[in-house]
Amino acid sequence: MTILHTKAISKRYGGLQALSEVNMTVNAGEFLAVIGPNGAGKSTLLNVLTGLTMPTEGKIWLDGKDVTRWATHARIRSGLGRTFQHGRLFERLSAVENVMTGAAVRKGRSEKELQEFAMSILHRMGLSGVARHQISSMSYGQRRMVELCRTLACEPRVLLLDEPAAGLNSGEVELLMERLTALRAEHQLAVVLIEHNMGMVMRLAERIVVLNFGCMIAEGTPAEVQTNPAVLAAYLGEGYSHADV
Amino acid sequence: MSIRTLLGLVAILVIGGALSLVLSDYSLRLMNLAVVSAVAVIGLNFAFGYSGLISLGHSAFAGLSAYCVAILTTKLGLSPWVAMPVAIIATALSAALIGYPLLRLKGHYLALATLGFNVSFTIVAINWLDLTGGTNGIAGIPHLSVAGYELSDERSFLWFALISLTLVAAAAAAIHRSRHGRAMIAVRDDEIAAAMAGIDVTGVKVAAFTLAGTCAAIAGCLFATHIRFVAPEDFNYAHSITYLAMLIVGGEGSIAGAIIGAVVLTFLPEWLRVLGDAYLLFFGLMMLVILVILPTGIVGLVRRISLKRRSPGDETTNVPARAGAHS
Amino acid sequence: MADFIQLSINGLALGSVYALAAIGFVIVYSATGVVNFASGQFVMLGTFAGVAMLINGGLPWPVGYVGALAAMALFGALFFLVVYLPLRSSPVVTIIIGTVAVGIALQNAAQLTFGSWPFRLQSPFEGMTIEIAGAVITVHAVAVVVGTGILIGLLWLLLHRTTIGIGMRAVAQDVKAARLMGLRVNGLLAFSWVLAALLAGIAGLMLGPMWFADVNMGDPIALKAFAATIIGGFGSLPGAIAGGLFVGLTEVLGASYLSSAYKDLIAFGAMIAFLLVRPQGIFGERIQDRG
Repeated sequence: MTILHTKAISKRYGGLQALSEVNMTVNAGEFLAVIGPNGAGKSTLLNVLTGLTMPTEGKIWLDGKDVTRWATHARIRSGLGRTFQHGRLFERLSAVENVMTGAAVRKGRSEKELQEFAMSILHRMGLSGVARHQISSMSYGQRRMVELCRTLACEPRVLLLDEPAAGLNSGEVELLMERLTALRAEHQLAVVLIEHNMGMVMRLAERIVVLNFGCMIAEGTPAEVQTNPAVLAAYLGEGYSHADV
Repeated sequence: MSIRTLLGLVAILVIGGALSLVLSDYSLRLMNLAVVSAVAVIGLNFAFGYSGLISLGHSAFAGLSAYCVAILTTKLGLSPWVAMPVAIIATALSAALIGYPLLRLKGHYLALATLGFNVSFTIVAINWLDLTGGTNGIAGIPHLSVAGYELSDERSFLWFALISLTLVAAAAAAIHRSRHGRAMIAVRDDEIAAAMAGIDVTGVKVAAFTLAGTCAAIAGCLFATHIRFVAPEDFNYAHSITYLAMLIVGGEGSIAGAIIGAVVLTFLPEWLRVLGDAYLLFFGLMMLVILVILPTGIVGLVRRISLKRRSPGDETTNVPARAGAHS
Repeated sequence: MADFIQLSINGLALGSVYALAAIGFVIVYSATGVVNFASGQFVMLGTFAGVAMLINGGLPWPVGYVGALAAMALFGALFFLVVYLPLRSSPVVTIIIGTVAVGIALQNAAQLTFGSWPFRLQSPFEGMTIEIAGAVITVHAVAVVVGTGILIGLLWLLLHRTTIGIGMRAVAQDVKAARLMGLRVNGLLAFSWVLAALLAGIAGLMLGPMWFADVNMGDPIALKAFAATIIGGFGSLPGAIAGGLFVGLTEVLGASYLSSAYKDLIAFGAMIAFLLVRPQGIFGERIQDRG
């Protein structure tokens, strides 16, 4: 079953074609990775999907509804969730309060319920010890985890992760992968992962979409993508310098 | 309600009540003005302290409400108890209506737009002679009476004002600790991340601005029934800047800071009166020095001192905003 | 028709003063990011520097004007040291309140020095008039308009043809890059404050004979300069000029043809309308919030 679906999404910034007719489908519960060289349009794609920028052309459907013109918060309330490349938190709130802002997406929860729900998520992600801490006192890895918790508190059905492993040490990456796998198994959560860490992509992704210069140049299982000549040329192999021109 | 909030509210009543018994009539009058300002500044704390909206038009909302009370009581002969709720509701609606288009602006653009609104309000108040009496203002606003007792002296009005302040502070503290308070703080810290947490950023801003306007309206009602006279210069943009200065000096993002700032900046010029004609010179320079050495205000200073003594991490909310968190 | 010409020239003269005040405001804002709420007091001080030199000092006007502007330059440098440097890294709001506080102090200082009784500052062209198509126009008004035009030309040359001006524009665009290029950034920032004070000083000297010199004259000028800046485009020099002339013209023409009571509402109404519909103003670039 398709949960998120784009049709011929294009985005131009002046003369720059950041995205060009991207057709992408995310199925419920699947783990999709989007890869591509720097400047390929991955972050623009996430911005368009979440409504931070409006596409120049094309349409986006979330759960069967045309959300192309919807505001960001409305998409979040309809089941989309996203983290940012370097983690964006509310610095004047504690960790648990950060997560509670996400939990408030669902109306009618009492303050106590919000807190319990937020604590349960922090606990699951191994952060209950720092729940009351101020964000400024936390390590980079903890901050990114808190952001993930806040996103999960919105109870998304599609989770968009923008380079979640960037800046984490290898132990933290390992932990992140375990928790993502467990989450998915538990919640039937679809994940769209943007990541440069190829080890992580190949281990987790069921399907991979390759972007280059704003175009989707390949799509398939990890094995298929790894052997696709266009992908090798654009991204993995000697084509990297070529692609930079 | 947390113990700290409860203690704070009791402190307002106890300290204010005790002072009301010992102060001279002139100081009581200043106390009344300080309490009225505190109500307005608690409102401004919603807009600026929590949500980061720089408003230089706060005084116009107090004025709108005070003029409503003045006009309804003197021209239509309504009781202040009827006029005040009408004034508050009308002002809150105006704040929402004005806020909706203006709040797309940020930083100094919003500051100047709200300043323009305040200046426009003053021009209209000066020139709409039939309704506002122009620069002569409107006199003869009736005293408030509670259960047959007329609040005609400074002391009894102060008790009423203190109770109003306590109620406003309690409501503000409750909102601060609720999902709505967190949403406001989230919007100021990072608008994009707030939207990504499902927060309707525009809605939160308009709500914060409306709440600010509502508190200003309550302050306006208190002002009108205390001074019993309204004139345009009582609500010009200089007062808006004073409200903002009170919030910064007290400590933005904090209800205690709003109250402390209002009291300090109401009494500071009086303490400087010994300097005679030069007191404004010193007042201006002192403000500059306070801003430079106490960027997080008086409350920020107290917290820094107390945090040094306590171990970190035992506090959930009310931990100081970083200096310039929104810059 | 004669009325209209007379009013228009007077409006342009008043607008020139607003434009100079707005240019000073914009120069400081682009270079330092400071929204200077004391900029009206700068103009007031310019007028009173004139009062000190010409009335109290009894100097002939060329000497008195030079003396007044020298005093203003010194004041600009002092403001840089005492107000800007301590506040430079503060949030927008703190800077707003800080400059307001300094404005209050300046106003009070002027009152202590000069008293609250207004002065009448004479123009070098006192009493001289010319006639254009039946309209009687003071030479002072014409001199203000022409003088402002020349000043704007000189300012353009300064910013585009001299090392110091090009350095200032570099600092306005990117302080870090300017520093990396080896520019003496602090010197350039100090110079922008001096330049703003000089322009305000000239505006004050021009305004003196048109209004009475009153220590409370600063605030209305600042408000008009803000309106001019928003209408023209925040941070844009051509915008400050166009906005200043617009505000001056609407004030004088509006008072005569529409309503003298509501003349100021036109400028502030236009300012709010611009903020809502075209916040970048007439000439401004797309808004990037520096706050």
